[in-house]
Amino acid sequence: MYRSLTFAVTSFAFIACAHAQGATQDFSCIERGHYLTTLSDCAGCHTTAGGKPFAGGVALQTPFGTLIAPNITPDTDTGIGNWSDDEFVSALQDGRGRNGTRLYPAMPYTAYTKMSRDDILAIRAYLNTVTPVHNRVNANQLPFPFNIRLAMMVWNWLNFTPGRFVADPHQSAEWNRGAYLVQGPGHCGACHTPKTALGGDKTGAPLTGATLQGWFAPNITANKHNGIGRWSKDDLVHYLKTGANNDTLASGPMAEAVTHSTSQMKDADVAAIATYLLGTGQGGTDRPTPIAADNPTMKVGAEIYKDACAPCHQDNGQGSAQLFPRLAGTAVVQSDDPTTLGRVVLEGSRAVATNSAPTAPAMPAFDWRLDNDQVAAVLTYIRNSWGNAAPAVSAATVAKQRTSLAQSR
Amino acid sequence: MDSKVPLLSRRTFLTSAAILVTTTASVVHGRTFHQGMPWAPGAADPPAQVRPGPWAFFTSDEAATMEAIVDRLIPPDDGGPGGKDAGCAVFIDRQLAGPYGRSDGLYTLPPFMPGSSTQGYQNPDSPGGRYRAGLKALADHIRQSQSGKTLRELSTVDQDKLLSTLEDGSIKLKDIDAKAFFAMLLQDTQQGFFADPIYGGNRDMAGWKLVGFPGARYDYRDWVERHNERYPLPPVSIMGRTDWVSKG
Repeated sequence: MYRSLTFAVTSFAFIACAHAQGATQDFSCIERGHYLTTLSDCAGCHTTAGGKPFAGGVALQTPFGTLIAPNITPDTDTGIGNWSDDEFVSALQDGRGRNGTRLYPAMPYTAYTKMSRDDILAIRAYLNTVTPVHNRVNANQLPFPFNIRLAMMVWNWLNFTPGRFVADPHQSAEWNRGAYLVQGPGHCGACHTPKTALGGDKTGAPLTGATLQGWFAPNITANKHNGIGRWSKDDLVHYLKTGANNDTLASGPMAEAVTHSTSQMKDADVAAIATYLLGTGQGGTDRPTPIAADNPTMKVGAEIYKDACAPCHQDNGQGSAQLFPRLAGTAVVQSDDPTTLGRVVLEGSRAVATNSAPTAPAMPAFDWRLDNDQVAAVLTYIRNSWGNAAPAVSAATVAKQRTSLAQSR
Repeated sequence: MDSKVPLLSRRTFLTSAAILVTTTASVVHGRTFHQGMPWAPGAADPPAQVRPGPWAFFTSDEAATMEAIVDRLIPPDDGGPGGKDAGCAVFIDRQLAGPYGRSDGLYTLPPFMPGSSTQGYQNPDSPGGRYRAGLKALADHIRQSQSGKTLRELSTVDQDKLLSTLEDGSIKLKDIDAKAFFAMLLQDTQQGFFADPIYGGNRDMAGWKLVGFPGARYDYRDWVERHNERYPLPPVSIMGRTDWVSKG
C-alpha cells in the first residue's frame, strides 16, 4: 500500500526521464516537464512580463534586499546550458547551484526539495527545448552582509530540511497528490507560510498566512475563521481554475499564480490540492471578541461603509458573486494582518482575468477620498461586522502603508 | 469661372483626399486591449478640494458685490442658508480663476457671428473678462444713478429692483448686454448652490438638503421598484460628509 501510494504520488503519468541524455529527448517526457514547470510556476519569477520565456530578470523584493531571477534557458554562456543533470537536480533539491554555489531561498528549493529526481529531470528536459536567450542576469543584488552566499550555509542549517516527499499511508491517493503539489512544486508555502526573522518558514504553522511584497497572503488552511474552511471543495477548485468564486476574486501576487499556474493545472490536480488543503490543519479558530457596534470608530466606519462601500459590497457585506468580493466571513478580511485590506482600499486592485472568468473587475482607489483615520475606521468596521471579528486597524498603520505604497509606484 | 485659374478641381480634391486617407490609415496602429481595459493602482484623478481663503479672481470690491447679488438671487430663509452663506460667490470666484474663467479649451478666434439661442455665447471674451467688465459697468451705473453708492449699500428692496431691471434688460449698461450678464449671474449662482461642495459652493450640501438630492451615491438598485417613499440616506459629497469624521 505504502509503496504504491508513493509511486502514484511522485510519478503521476510516469515516464522516466532519468539517466541517459537521449531519454530526455522523448516527447512525452518533455511534455511532462512542460506541465511540471506550470505546476511549479517557474515562469512566475524567471519570465518578465512580455519578456522571452525563462530568460530571467524578474526582481524579487525580499526583506533583505533585491534578488533577480536568473536566466534558465539552455544558453551555454548566460543560461544553464552547461549545467549537468546532477547540478540541476541539486539546485532544486539542495539549493546548491553550479559548482556548489549556494542559492538564496527566494528560489523555493525549500519546497522543491520534496520533488522527485524524475520530476526535476523532466523539467530539465523541457527547459532544454526552450529557445536559448543570451541574457546575463546579476542575480545577487543584496546589500552586505546578505550578499555573502556562504551565509546560506548557516541559513540552511537553521531553516532547511532537505528530503523528498513522503506519502501519508493513512490518507487517500488524491490527498497525497495534493500534499505533494502544495508542499513541492506548487510551493504554496513560499507566500502563505509565516516566516521567521531570518525569512525561514515557521514550520509549526504551515500555510497560516504571511505578509510579503506589500500584500498579506491569507491563511489557506481549513480554519473557519480566517482560513478557507468555509469553502467547499468546489469553491476552492473554482477559485484556482478561474481566479474567482462566489466569495472572492484573486488579485495581487495570487493573480499571477492563477494566470501562470493554477488556471492551467489539470482538473484532477486542482481537485487534489483542494482535498489536501481543506483536509489539513483545522486547528483552533481563535476568534477574538468582535469590537462593539457602538464603539465611536465603528460608528464612523459604518457611515463611510454605507456611502462608499455598500453600493458594491452591499449593506450586509455579501458582495456579488464573481464581481464584488464578499466581506462577511472571509479569510483576508478577518486576518490579524490587515495589509491586503488596507492596500486594496488605498490604491484599489484589479482581479485576475482568466479565459473562464474574463471580466477582471477592479476596485477603485480610495486614497484620495479617505484620510488615514477614515480608512482605519472603515477597515475596523468591516473586520467586526456581520459576524466578522478581527483586531482594530490603527490610523498609524494606514499612514505607514500609504507612504510605502506611494514609494512603490 | 475662368478655366485658366488653377483652382483645386473636385476630381483632384477627391483623389488627394483618398490618398491622404489610405496613407494615413496604413501608419495608424490601433491599440488592442486584451482581457479588460488598462488599470493602474492608485490612479484616481479627483478634482482638488476648494479651500476657504483669499479671493482668487475677484477684487474685494467685486467680491462684496457678488456676495450681495448671490444672496438676493437665493435669499436665506427658514429652508436654509442663502447664496452667500452657501458659498456661491466662492464657487464662482474659483471657477473664474480656473480654466473655465479663461475659456481654456474653447475656440475663441474669429469670425464672430450672431448665433442661434442654442449655440451659446459667440463672442471672444472669456467668462472672467465678462464678469470683470459686467461688474465694472454695473458699479459705474449704480454710482451715477444712486448718488455714489455701491450695490451692497443699497437696501435689499433696491437691490432686487436693480437686479430685476438687469433681468428684463430695461437697464442700459455701457457696452454690456445687461440681460446676458444677468443670465450668466443667475446660472452660475445656481450652479454654485447645487454643485458638489468640493468646488466651494453648496456648503454643507445645503442645496442638496433643500431639494432632497442624495449626492454622490451611485447605486439605487434597491430603490428602482420602490415608489413614493422617501430615500432615507443623507446626501454625501465627493469628499464625504460630517459623519465620516470621528467626534472623539
